[in-house]
Amino acid sequence: MGTLQRILYVEDEPDIQAVARLALELVGGFTVKICSSGEEALREAAAFAPDLILLDVMMPGMDGPSTLKALRGQATLAEVPVAFMTAKVQPPEVAHYKALGARDVIAKPFDPMKLADQIRAIWNG
Amino acid sequence: MPPDVAAQLARLRADYLTRLPGELAALRDLADRLAVGDLDRAGIGELHHRLHKLAGSGGTFGLAGLSARARALEVRAKDWLQAPAPDAATRAAFAAEVGALAAGAGEAAAASPVPAWSPSPTRPHERAAQVWLVEDDPLLGRGLKRQLESFNYQVRLFPCLADAEQVARDACPDLMILDVTLNEEGEDADTRLALLPRLRALHCSLLFISTVNDFHARVRAAQLGALGYFLKPLDVPRLVNRMEQIRNQQRAAPQRVLIVDDDRDLAEHYRLVLLGAGMEAEVLDQPEAIVERISVFRPELVLMDLHMPAFSGPDLAGVIRQHDKWTGLPIVYLSAETDLELQVAALNRGADDFLIKPLSDAQLVSAVRARVGRARQLDELVSKDSLTGLLKHASIKEAAEAETARARRIGKPVTLAMLDIDHFKTVNDSYGHAAGDLVISSLAVLLRQRLRKSDVIGRYGGEEFVAVLPECDAAHAQALLDDIRQRFAALRFSHEGREFGRTLSVGLACSAHHPDATGAELLIAADEALYAAKRGGRDQVRAAPAPTLLTP
Repeated sequence: MGTLQRILYVEDEPDIQAVARLALELVGGFTVKICSSGEEALREAAAFAPDLILLDVMMPGMDGPSTLKALRGQATLAEVPVAFMTAKVQPPEVAHYKALGARDVIAKPFDPMKLADQIRAIWNG
Repeated sequence: MPPDVAAQLARLRADYLTRLPGELAALRDLADRLAVGDLDRAGIGELHHRLHKLAGSGGTFGLAGLSARARALEVRAKDWLQAPAPDAATRAAFAAEVGALAAGAGEAAAASPVPAWSPSPTRPHERAAQVWLVEDDPLLGRGLKRQLESFNYQVRLFPCLADAEQVARDACPDLMILDVTLNEEGEDADTRLALLPRLRALHCSLLFISTVNDFHARVRAAQLGALGYFLKPLDVPRLVNRMEQIRNQQRAAPQRVLIVDDDRDLAEHYRLVLLGAGMEAEVLDQPEAIVERISVFRPELVLMDLHMPAFSGPDLAGVIRQHDKWTGLPIVYLSAETDLELQVAALNRGADDFLIKPLSDAQLVSAVRARVGRARQLDELVSKDSLTGLLKHASIKEAAEAETARARRIGKPVTLAMLDIDHFKTVNDSYGHAAGDLVISSLAVLLRQRLRKSDVIGRYGGEEFVAVLPECDAAHAQALLDDIRQRFAALRFSHEGREFGRTLSVGLACSAHHPDATGAELLIAADEALYAAKRGGRDQVRAAPAPTLLTP
C-alpha cells in the first residue's frame, strides 16, 4: 500500500467539518476534501481520487452506510478503504460497520490533536 | 502544538460555543413539546438526531461532560423511535433533563479552559476572575484594587452597594468583597445587603472586610453566606489565599460517578439525583462492558449494587481491581444487605464501603461527594506540596526532564526558571513560621496566576521554586519572570502591625542555548544563573549565558 495523503471526509456538520479540516490538514499534513452529504460525495469522490474515505454515520439524506454502498458501486472507488465516524461505538456496532465493509470506526467526539494519528493507525493496521 | 493550530482551535471552539446556546434552545423546544405530548414521530426523530449531533461534537470542543449527557439522552430517545410513545411522566422527566443539559453546558463553557490549547506565553491562560469590591473609602478601595490586580484578578470598584445592585441586573462576578463597615443611608452594609434582591440572587461567593471583630458581627456575616471575614488593616496575601481557595473550588471539575445496578429505574433515579447535585453520572447497562466504560468515562467512584442477576458486585469489583491503574478507584456498594458476613466478604474483594438501601437522595449525594472529595485529596497529597499546592521536588524534576526531551523532539525551546526568595530566613526569624508560610504560599499563588496552565510549577526546596515553561524562549521568560519579580516585591505582608516585604532572585536557562543539555543539566544552569543573580545584588532575573565555544 502507498502512503496516505488524500482524504475525503463526508460530514454534514459545519463545526465538525472545520475542526476536522484543521486536525487533518494542519496537524496531520494530509490533503483533504470535505463533502457535506453522501450525495455530494458520490458526485465528487472519483475526481478527487482519495486514498481513504471518512464517513459520518448519521447524516440527513443518505447516511454513512448507504453512501458507502453507493461509493463501492463506482469502479475507481471500489477498493478505497473507508472508516466510519460515529458518536455511538458499542462493540456490536463496530462489528456491524466492519461487516458493511468499513476498515474501522472512529469514535466521536474525537480529539483534534489525535485524529490524524488515529487515521494513520487505521491505514497501517 | 504549533501556535497557529492552537489559535485556530481556540477560534473554532469559540465559534462552537457561540452557536451552542441556539442549538440547546432548539433541543429544549423539542423536549418541551415532547413533555406536553405535542411531538410526532418525525419530531422525536429530530430530537434524537440533534442529541446525537451534540453527543458527537461537544467533546471535540472541550465539553466532554455535555457529550456524555447528550449521549445518555440520545440512547433513550432512540428507543422511542420504534416503540410506542412513552408515558407522560417519562416524557416530563426527559424534558427536564434536556433543560438541565442547557444549564450544565452554560457553566461548562464559562468555566472549562481546554488544557491542550495554550495561548501565547505572554498571557496567563485562564480568564481572569471577576471581582466586585464594594468599598466607600476611595484610598483603601483603589489600593486594594491595585494589589488584587497584580494577582490577576479583574476588579471592579463600587463606592456603594446600590451601584453594585444596579450592575447586578446584567453581570455577575465570581467573587464579591464587601466592606461591611460602610454606611449607606444610615444603615450598615450587611443590613442593606440583605435587602438588595438582585445582589442576593447572584449567589456569588462573598467575603467581608471589617473593623469590627466581635462574635455577633461574625455570626451575621455567616448568616449572609460570607465565606471569609477579614479585619482591617487588611492582610492582602491572606485575603488572596482565601480567594484562591474559593476559586479552586469553583473551578473543580464535576465529580464523575458510574452506577452499576440491574434495577434500571432505580439506577436512573440515582443518576438524576447525582446529576441534580452537579455531578456527572452514567449508568452501566451491560456489565460485560465495564472495563471499556471505565476507560472512557474515567469515573472517580463506582456505585454498585451488591446483588445482580448475572454477575455479583464483588465479581465486577474483582474485574476492576485486576487493572493496576484502578486499584485505588473507590467502589461503594448499595445494598439492602444487613448480613455482616456478606459485607465482610465483599470488602475483602476490593470494596471500600457500603450504603444501605433504602437511602435518601441527600444521603446518596453527601456520601458520594465526601468519598470522591477524599479520593481527590489523597491524590493531591501524593504529588503536591501541602503548603503551596505545587508539585514536589521529585515531580518537578521529572517534569523538567520530560519537557526538555519534548522540546528537543518538537524543535521548540523550553525555559527553566529557578526562583528563590531573598533573605527569607529573616522572615521566619523575625515574624515566625506562620508568616514565613504565608510569604511562600503568596509566591505560589502569584506564580499560578501569572503563568500559563501548560507551565509546570514546583516547590523545589524551602523557599526555592522551579517553573518549567514549555515553548517559551529566553526573552519571553525573562520578561515574564521580571514581571513576577516586580509584583512580588510590591506585596506587603503584615505581622502584628509590622509591615514587611521581600524580593525575588531568578535564574533562567533556555534549551535553545544548551541544545544538548538534559533537564537535570538545564536545572544546574538555571541554578548557576540564580546564584549569579544573588551575587549581583538580588531582586533580579539572570539568564544562563550560552556556553562559549572552545576554539581548537
